[in-house]
Amino acid sequence: MIVVNTETIPGYEILQSLGIVQGNVVRAKHMGRDIAAGLKNLVGGELKGYTELLTESRRTAIQRMLDQAKELGADAIINVRFSTSAITQGAAELYVYGTAVKLQAADNQHAPSSSGVPVPPPLP
Amino acid sequence: MEAAIFFIFYAGIPALGLLCAFLAGNWIAGRHEANLAQRSHAVAGIRMTDIKHMLDPVSGPQPPRLIVSEVTLGIDHFRGFLGKLKNIFGGEVRSYQATLDRARREVITRLLEEAYLEGFNAVANLRINFVDISGNATMAQKASAVSIIASGTAHYAATEAHQSMNQPMVAATGQ
Repeated sequence: MIVVNTETIPGYEILQSLGIVQGNVVRAKHMGRDIAAGLKNLVGGELKGYTELLTESRRTAIQRMLDQAKELGADAIINVRFSTSAITQGAAELYVYGTAVKLQAADNQHAPSSSGVPVPPPLP
Repeated sequence: MEAAIFFIFYAGIPALGLLCAFLAGNWIAGRHEANLAQRSHAVAGIRMTDIKHMLDPVSGPQPPRLIVSEVTLGIDHFRGFLGKLKNIFGGEVRSYQATLDRARREVITRLLEEAYLEGFNAVANLRINFVDISGNATMAQKASAVSIIASGTAHYAATEAHQSMNQPMVAATGQ
């Protein structure tokens, strides 16, 4: 599945839009992490626990979005956007959404084009 | 005697805390600056743009794909204190600006590194989102942390870029 946050994918034509697909997750770290982050915050620097929290949330949310797109039989998700909201201290909601589409490789798929139009790789 | 103990307790300990935070904070910030300067050389050739479509795309071994990176950076106790002080009189709060700037450069460097590791040479539609992870919408209320998620589409481009990666937008002073 091709996932991009641009509106088009070079080398492919968008055949059909299947609508919005989305995934969200609210995650929190355990209290020990929160305390450690509070201490680290005294001197500044990266709060790795919270960076991890964001990475895990993002992976889960994207996976849920991908599952939805698969159910619809999509080839790609375009124009993916992230949105977040703070629920409470130390917890974050991550919401990711995009448009599921059906793709078709552009006509000149196998001909090496003279006009400089790129030849796309085959659909995954 | 009692007054002296009172003074030490209410002024000495917070002052010591601020001094420790200042020294440690400056050391950590300086180390981070050096680290960023070193890493940004490798990824300076990856072209990045916030335009919504890909510029001069060429096909490669894999189709374009979404890349995401995130970072959470704490604002140290001393800079937070300075910021709160500055907030009384108003004006430019440089102590926060420097940290925000470092966080932004870190997250962009991570994004470009991911693109680089996957073998891409360009990133289109770069988006930078701030996350309110600590639950304080206003940082001035409570010196806190700044979280950023950056996303973009990695792809192959015909030409490489030579952008200057490591220019802080504000001087990284402790002010």
